[in-house]
Amino acid sequence: MATRKTTTGTARGASSGSTGSAPAAGVRDAVIVGGNRIPFSRAGKKYADASNQEMFTAALEGLVARFGLQGERLGEVVGGAVLKHSRDFNLVREAVLGSSLSPQTPAFDLQQACATGLEATINVANKIRLGQIDSGVAGGTDTISDAPVAVSEGLRRALLAASHAKTLQGRLKAFARIRPADLKPLTPATDEPRTGLSMGEHQAITTARWGITREAQDEVALASHQNLAQAWDAGFFDDLVTPFRGLTRDDNLRPDTSLEKLASLKPVFGKSLASSSESPVGPTMTAGNSTPLTDGASTVLLASTEWAEAHDLPVLARFVDAETAAVDFVHGHEGLLMAPVHAVPRLLARNGMTLADFDFFEIHEAFASTVLTTLAAWEDADYCKNELGLPGAFGSVDRAKINVNGSSLAAGHPFAATGGRIVATAAKLVSQRAAETGETARALVSVCAAGGLGATAIIESV
Amino acid sequence: MTATGPTTSAGEPLGVESLPSLPALGGLYARGAASSGRIAAGRALPNLPVIGQAREPDDGPPALPGVAYRVTGVETGGLATHLRDYERLLHEPASDVMPAGYLHVLAFPLATAVMVRGDFPLPLLGMVHLANEVEHRGPVRVGDRLDVRAWAENLRAHKRGVQVDLVAEVWPDGGADRPVWRGVSTYLAKGFHLTDGEPAEPEQPDRAPSGTWTPPLPTGRWALGPGTGRAYGAVSGDRNPIHMSALAAKAFGFPRAIAHGMYTAARALADVGNARGDAYRWTVEFGRPVLLPGTVDVAVTPAPEPGTGFRYVGWNARHGQLHFEGEVVPLEP
Repeated sequence: MATRKTTTGTARGASSGSTGSAPAAGVRDAVIVGGNRIPFSRAGKKYADASNQEMFTAALEGLVARFGLQGERLGEVVGGAVLKHSRDFNLVREAVLGSSLSPQTPAFDLQQACATGLEATINVANKIRLGQIDSGVAGGTDTISDAPVAVSEGLRRALLAASHAKTLQGRLKAFARIRPADLKPLTPATDEPRTGLSMGEHQAITTARWGITREAQDEVALASHQNLAQAWDAGFFDDLVTPFRGLTRDDNLRPDTSLEKLASLKPVFGKSLASSSESPVGPTMTAGNSTPLTDGASTVLLASTEWAEAHDLPVLARFVDAETAAVDFVHGHEGLLMAPVHAVPRLLARNGMTLADFDFFEIHEAFASTVLTTLAAWEDADYCKNELGLPGAFGSVDRAKINVNGSSLAAGHPFAATGGRIVATAAKLVSQRAAETGETARALVSVCAAGGLGATAIIESV
Repeated sequence: MTATGPTTSAGEPLGVESLPSLPALGGLYARGAASSGRIAAGRALPNLPVIGQAREPDDGPPALPGVAYRVTGVETGGLATHLRDYERLLHEPASDVMPAGYLHVLAFPLATAVMVRGDFPLPLLGMVHLANEVEHRGPVRVGDRLDVRAWAENLRAHKRGVQVDLVAEVWPDGGADRPVWRGVSTYLAKGFHLTDGEPAEPEQPDRAPSGTWTPPLPTGRWALGPGTGRAYGAVSGDRNPIHMSALAAKAFGFPRAIAHGMYTAARALADVGNARGDAYRWTVEFGRPVLLPGTVDVAVTPAPEPGTGFRYVGWNARHGQLHFEGEVVPLEP
């Protein structure tokens, strides 16, 4: 099986196995005070006409209300959206101005595909640790329903040429280049620009290469729905979610789904791989074990310990450290969504930790098989040696510690909003566990992203 | 002209005819259509004299013109916009260094000019592009002055007709030890024979029958729109009717318009990207044509031995049919 992991046996990952230096010494802690999001909604439903700015403002305002931040000048608000209209060049700043925060609160947008929310958190935490700011909000928002629609490349170039032309004749000449096909609008696609394969098709290739079964994927999906439903029923999200547009729970959640129902769904990705000589299993990825397109927004409040104390705010957890990675997926050497597999060993080595040091694993369920290929890779000695530059298998993860309160398969995945959902969930989980046991509890966060990117982080109880 | 003029790959000397400038491929197809008609008429009615046909029916076995076309002092300073259009269409990185596929676009019209000569024994239209091999020895930049040569050689039998190599070379203007770019395009003229009455010997086995080839896992997927042939035709000047519209393609026996083979090979080359380096051998063998619009699954992967370049293959996933496969292998500059 080891020979199927990558297209060539060359140890390209080994040379990049640098773990960086020790975690920054002498910097102060960045702590997570809490989080707030709006319920996530399947595309085209409750938030069908809600804009990114409206959703992010709603999530931010809920956070402000929850922690009494009205009129407060925070150090920074950082967030973004993956599908963003060019008019939203200052999306987050506009949301700040539409909130009850002090208008003197700076803000900026960033974007790292599905890792946007976690990257925003890393940014805010690092500024706090360096003492550049004392408090900040990280988050993200995305809408499929209200996605920007662009004009075709041909029409865009003709319009630009016309606007650059100095004479009427020049403008007419530019418009004359427009062809009927140019009038068709462009809607956002989840295709990788460099390969033309959708994310689902890419993951289907990775799934086939690792021989992940349909049954295993459906079990992950079932657990996600059951765990998220239990968490909602137990009130876990009562202080993490603010209702919006009449929605009070994530509406993708199917508490009554079953393995039988999941097994009845037809595969949607990887259908053309069946004839491949390198594909040991048939198509396995369905709408049930893949994340649906979703709308939503999330925020997380971070601060220095001193700022939280001075504002009489609780502290859930410490944001310990983070690592990003990218993989060479363009020529099939590595799977598109495998970057976190590379990031985590570097992150843990730098912090002197192993997988055994964690109580919770929050692995973003882009697809059920993303979780399973991640786990399989870490258990594979050949892969870990050749690709990760490790002496042997990285290790195993106790399944009972993974996504214990559900993840994206059940909650949905509004791209940039997922990081904030996971960080807030992980912080509250370690806080609760530490309160129960009196010992330090830790969570490992892993988010894969388009473009072969991945972001990972360590969150620890205080 | 250099002291040693062009010779065929077998070392046979060629007469050189200098042209004042590179011909435009679009116009050549009009001439090619006319001469193809003459040759077709000559084949259908072998005993009738055909007006305007240089080769008499009883000249003996068909022979290639023993001549190379040459254009010196080709200026490329004005090609920046054309190169940009090529790079956008083929997904090449934006650069003033010309990819090997662009040099093919630049040089091949001269080879086409050889094919539309009155004494070229095969019809331009209807010929099938079987394979292409390019040796690209180093960077050619916008602004470089070039010396372009082209000829036909190696007329030989093929199971289904006669095949011929069209050679084009790009030299730095002013001389060098060897061309900076050399392309060999192998074409098949179906239904022709080297000698009357004698069946052509199959020189190479036909490609594997459909159903026996299993594709690898793809690394990419190309969604080719109905205008793909027209877009490459506009950039390359190769407006062979089979690429331009379904109606024209039907006249040549294709159900729909087909993509230029060189478009598919050049996109695979672009997919390799900067990893190919400055000097490389780029080869392709064509299988079933790509019907437009259509979806092509591709696998562009490093060769198993590190440092030995890339392999690529394109296929139709639904029918399991191979469209093309080739290599991009580093060369000593």
